[in-house]
Amino acid sequence: MIALSVAALLAVFLLYTSIAGGGTPSLRPSQLDARDGRVTLAGKVVHGSVRGDAREGGLRFRLRDVEGTASVPVLYRGSVPDLFDEDRDIVVQGTLRNGVFVAQPGTLVTKCPSKYAPAKSGSQDRA
Amino acid sequence: MPELGRAALIVALGLALYALLAGAYAAWSGRRRLAASAQNAILAAFAATLAASLVLAAALLRDDFSFTYVQEHTSSDLSSAYKLSAFWGGQEGSLLLWLLILTGYSAAAVAFGRRVGRDLLAWVVPVLGGVCVFFAFMVTVVASPFATQPAPAEGAGMTASLQNPYMLAHPPLLYLGYVGLAIPWAFAMGALLSRRTDERWIVATRRWTLAAWTFLGVGQLLGAHWAYEEIGWGGYFAWDPVENAALMPWLAATAFLHSVMIQEKRGMLKVWNMILVVGAFLLSLFGTFLTRSGVVNSIHSFTQSSIGPWFLFFIVLATGFSLALVFSRLPILRSQTRLESLISREATFLYNNLLLVALCLTILWGVLFPLVSEAVRGEAVNVGGPYYNFFLRSFGLPLLLLMGIGPLIAWRRASLRALGRTFLVPLGVALAVGLVLLVLGAGSSIPGLIAYTFSAFVLASIAFEFVRGTRARRALGASSWPAAFSSLVSRNRRRYGGYIVHAAVVLLAIGVAGSSAYETVREGKLRPGQELRVADYTLRLRSIEQRETANAVQVRAVLDVERDGSELGSLRAGKNTYRVGDEVSNEVGIRSDLLTGEDLFVTTDRIDGDDSVYVKVFVKPLVNFIWLAGIVFILGSLVTLWPDAREQRRLLLRYEPQAAPTEA
Amino acid sequence: MTLLALALAAALAVACVVYVARPFLREPAPAVDRLDEPGELERRRLALAEERDRALGALKELEFDHRTGAVSDEDYRALVGPLRRTAAEALRALEPRATGELGRVRAGR
Repeated sequence: MIALSVAALLAVFLLYTSIAGGGTPSLRPSQLDARDGRVTLAGKVVHGSVRGDAREGGLRFRLRDVEGTASVPVLYRGSVPDLFDEDRDIVVQGTLRNGVFVAQPGTLVTKCPSKYAPAKSGSQDRA
Repeated sequence: MPELGRAALIVALGLALYALLAGAYAAWSGRRRLAASAQNAILAAFAATLAASLVLAAALLRDDFSFTYVQEHTSSDLSSAYKLSAFWGGQEGSLLLWLLILTGYSAAAVAFGRRVGRDLLAWVVPVLGGVCVFFAFMVTVVASPFATQPAPAEGAGMTASLQNPYMLAHPPLLYLGYVGLAIPWAFAMGALLSRRTDERWIVATRRWTLAAWTFLGVGQLLGAHWAYEEIGWGGYFAWDPVENAALMPWLAATAFLHSVMIQEKRGMLKVWNMILVVGAFLLSLFGTFLTRSGVVNSIHSFTQSSIGPWFLFFIVLATGFSLALVFSRLPILRSQTRLESLISREATFLYNNLLLVALCLTILWGVLFPLVSEAVRGEAVNVGGPYYNFFLRSFGLPLLLLMGIGPLIAWRRASLRALGRTFLVPLGVALAVGLVLLVLGAGSSIPGLIAYTFSAFVLASIAFEFVRGTRARRALGASSWPAAFSSLVSRNRRRYGGYIVHAAVVLLAIGVAGSSAYETVREGKLRPGQELRVADYTLRLRSIEQRETANAVQVRAVLDVERDGSELGSLRAGKNTYRVGDEVSNEVGIRSDLLTGEDLFVTTDRIDGDDSVYVKVFVKPLVNFIWLAGIVFILGSLVTLWPDAREQRRLLLRYEPQAAPTEA
Repeated sequence: MTLLALALAAALAVACVVYVARPFLREPAPAVDRLDEPGELERRRLALAEERDRALGALKELEFDHRTGAVSDEDYRALVGPLRRTAAEALRALEPRATGELGRVRAGR
């Protein structure tokens, strides 16, 4: 009886995650290509590329692969976490439109600067 | 002094190896003195690890920057408490803390476990030794906290956000939980290795498991509180892999605590319990691995660390060992007893277990999915909050209901008519509450309404149990109601302590339901004098204040709060900019309504030079029930854990009849 | 500094080795060095003892549940008979074993 329920359960998960499309792909700038649809983009903010205002007109910067040079321009509106800065690793959701990654407002998340990243159980900053 | 630290760890590693090898040989060949010697090795390993830990702690407090670790994680301007907390602030130190707690627990288990039977203990020792070997190896060879360098003048300092009381408590509590789950696992493996079929190992480890489970639960609640008040992104739990890493072993341990009761009372589910205790331990190892290795994208850990592969190797080893052992002993684990009825307390425990394990597996799948999809499709796909929340509701709500049903059903078999009678009052209360809430507008969220109604049902059934029990004791001759109540609880600590813990879970459910299903969020830009209306509240920006302290510049927006025409005081929210490292921390303003448990939560996004502020305001109904739940949880656990002289005598009679005063 | 550290480390190592060797130092030539494992008889006694405690515990809980009203009178009447019988059997099964074991112990097994 136990084995049956477990099997049934696993079937439910697999169905949900594959059909209901519960997931958003997590990509690097070099993987973006001509992707359409909502994705999560993770990378490093290129030094010297930050311009504009996230609240008025939009924040613009370039995001590059953490290990690599491929980069993409990003347009972001909404709240910016305090830790956001050049050379920091960030994650943001959005869609690629005409070569510019237009971000979903409020989805910008900054990771902890690498100095403190070698972690222990969950006591790090949640930016 | 780093040489002392390094040497002490090498000694610890050697002792652990001895405990493993000599202990295994002693148990296998039945040698008493060698087995005793291996036990001593475990105790000595704790002493050696303690020595190493003291060396590190002293170096931290002394600002000895010749220790690379000290230099990387502290600076001389930190207070002593935070310097000490840097012990677990980095990879190497936190691994040493793991080892310290592991050897500590092992030493205590061995010292107090001498009563459980020499043959059982003889096998427990090498198993514990094996785990100690791994962690001792990690801190000696792979990630030593005692690396040295020519001492620079100053240290790198600690992130401002880690300089708070939570950092002092949250990691140690979590570790006490994670590591504690190794003890029941080791005793279970010991029982299998010694081919014992009795419940000795369960009896011996019951309080350990409870304690570890309590620490893990409280540690998580503390982490949630930290995220809520200090980090201030507006919530307390985000289904981040690191958060899930602690939740999964906790769920497995919860299932284990329940199903073990069935084994004790009916002798059933022996194999299932083995699987659960193995699962809980492996998940805690996996959780430790997840938060350190950078394998899964989390906002917490990002660097690919070198210890990942080692951890993975050990987890695979432990999994293989445990499963092979369980499988090879399957014949002696089979039990004759069968489930008599699908409507009985045993059955509700079984359903509870299935739901808990299902939830645990859901979370595991969600955490592993990005890795699986990357391997299969070439790109990592993250499942988001909706996935987790869907299954939390699907499994959590029935679990909530079961908490109310379980206590009202009898063991073995319950007739439907008897059920109807016992359910009448709690069911009535629940329906009444549900209707009232519906009228008050709670119908805006169906899951929320269901959660509230089920919660009312459970609380009513728990209260009912207490009342019935007290009344029965009174009828037996107790002098007064309070006396009846206290004697009821003290004579049935496990049962009523358990009910208190259930009440805590219900409070948690109410808090979570209220603050998520019925939350209101508004964002806005305010200039001095302007207002923002959120739910019942009106916030008006009065002014922007700036203050300088020793290590930071504090900017605060001062907002006046009003509700239904009455002034409720003012709220301050803003940012601190720290001079060292040029960091900014978010300081939220929270106004808690003590009567309703509701929070008015304000976080500022940006404060401009022209005194305009971008604010995000949350109204979270009932959120403080979550923290209240933590306190009730601790209380319930204490009641259950409290030593019971009567129970001890009974166990002594069972396991050492010749030691006890002659019975027959 | 280093000399002190090494001296302390050496002291620690020596202390640990002595502590680990203690069982051998205290009994250099013991009469019996066997780890007592429960024999067949002891295992059966343990199993019976657990069964007895389980039966007695179930009986006690049934009484408790009945007194507090969780179990109705008819359900109680239906369940108590078989439980009492199981408990009595378990107690009886334990008795001769216990005397048997005691007899063996007195005879100096």
